Amino acid sequence: MSHAHATTLHGAPPLKMGLPIPNSKLGVWLFLGTEIMFFTAFIGTYIVLRLGSPDWPHDPNVTHIRIWAGGTNTFVLLASSYLVVVAHESMVARNIPRAKRYLLGTFALACVFLGIKAYEYYGKWDHDILPGHIAEDDNQAMTKTLGDFDKLLNRQYALYVPDSEASRLADKRTAIDAKTKNASPEERKKIDALKALDKEYLALRAQHQELKLQLVPLSEKLEALKKNPEFAALLGGLEAHHPIKYGNIFASTYFLMTGFHALHVIVGMILFAIPLWIITLDHRWTDYVENCGLYWHFVDLVWIFLFPLIYII
Amino acid sequence: MTEAHATPAHHDSHAPHHVWYFGVFGALCILTLISVACDLFHIEGKVIHGINIVVAVLVLSVATAKALFVMTYFMHLKFEGRWKFLLLSPTIILAIGLPLALLPDVGVHYYPTDIPQNSAKVTERSHTQLETTSESPH
Repeated sequence: MSHAHATTLHGAPPLKMGLPIPNSKLGVWLFLGTEIMFFTAFIGTYIVLRLGSPDWPHDPNVTHIRIWAGGTNTFVLLASSYLVVVAHESMVARNIPRAKRYLLGTFALACVFLGIKAYEYYGKWDHDILPGHIAEDDNQAMTKTLGDFDKLLNRQYALYVPDSEASRLADKRTAIDAKTKNASPEERKKIDALKALDKEYLALRAQHQELKLQLVPLSEKLEALKKNPEFAALLGGLEAHHPIKYGNIFASTYFLMTGFHALHVIVGMILFAIPLWIITLDHRWTDYVENCGLYWHFVDLVWIFLFPLIYII
Repeated sequence: MTEAHATPAHHDSHAPHHVWYFGVFGALCILTLISVACDLFHIEGKVIHGINIVVAVLVLSVATAKALFVMTYFMHLKFEGRWKFLLLSPTIILAIGLPLALLPDVGVHYYPTDIPQNSAKVTERSHTQLETTSESPH
């Protein structure tokens, strides 16, 4: 303490150990340093895997990657970054109500970002573009298609033989005659159609097990069955799957990168919710807003690279 | 640490920088539109492993420019001391080093890899199938 006073007496600025920034800001920058490596591990791996996989799926009709969604989210994050920087500027100017308005805008834009991301994830879920779910060759595509056929028949049989009595399709087949003894003529017609469709399925499955089934004939057979008025109502929604080479590694890297990014967005929203709703915001929180802003700009930076890598290249 | 020690640091941190933030935001939006245009308009270029090299270089350059804008102005690195180089250099070197280290083995190799995808039978989708799939809004 006396040393500090002595230096001040000689007119020189007081000595200070360490960097000329608040400790909290130094902590945030050190954290961001680790975050750079965290995300680069994923992004770097994605780039390397992509370069090493000659038939990587990039057709948007196959991957269901929509540039409008990624582009809109880029604008949303850029706008939120702008709002957070002006919120900090307002804090420095001690205009707390204005800072709060900008922080609220940032929070709202983060919600929009997650909403669009959720819509994109729903699309992937709907088309089963999920890690470990994608057929990568003809044989896997046929197995998956016949698996769907099995599930569809199981649901149809469940109308007559409840799952509580028989959960497997084979058990339902055995039980259906006893359960539908007193069926009306109209219902009998439906049951006969279901049994006939089941026979078609069993024939296809036998061919597949004997390795005599091919993907194109299977697709054509399904189309023909769907055109048959007897089966059309029963087969609603059944589509033949097609192989997507490297589809699983694509889905894994896509969900890993965008998922961790979305988690960071959620953490950012919690950080912004604190000055908005939990504490009373005043000028003492200027450093906090600046540090949260640094974190938020980093989240924006990650997306700036994810957007071209995933949606364009 | 006394108040006298802490104050100068805080003054540096919150000093007014006179940056036209809206202008920076506008520049970032224009750069994003350039990226989107690269995808929407057909650009001729050498294609390696399904990647159009011209488009890849263009959009990654635009992304780097955007990142520099954000770091320089929004994150105030332009106004920070030289500590920024000390703190960020190791992580950036490691970040660039990782893909470069993996690239020769996984990304660019002269030998054929023994992976199931290389020997699997894959029937290409027909155009009608693609059209049917693209009807979906997702």
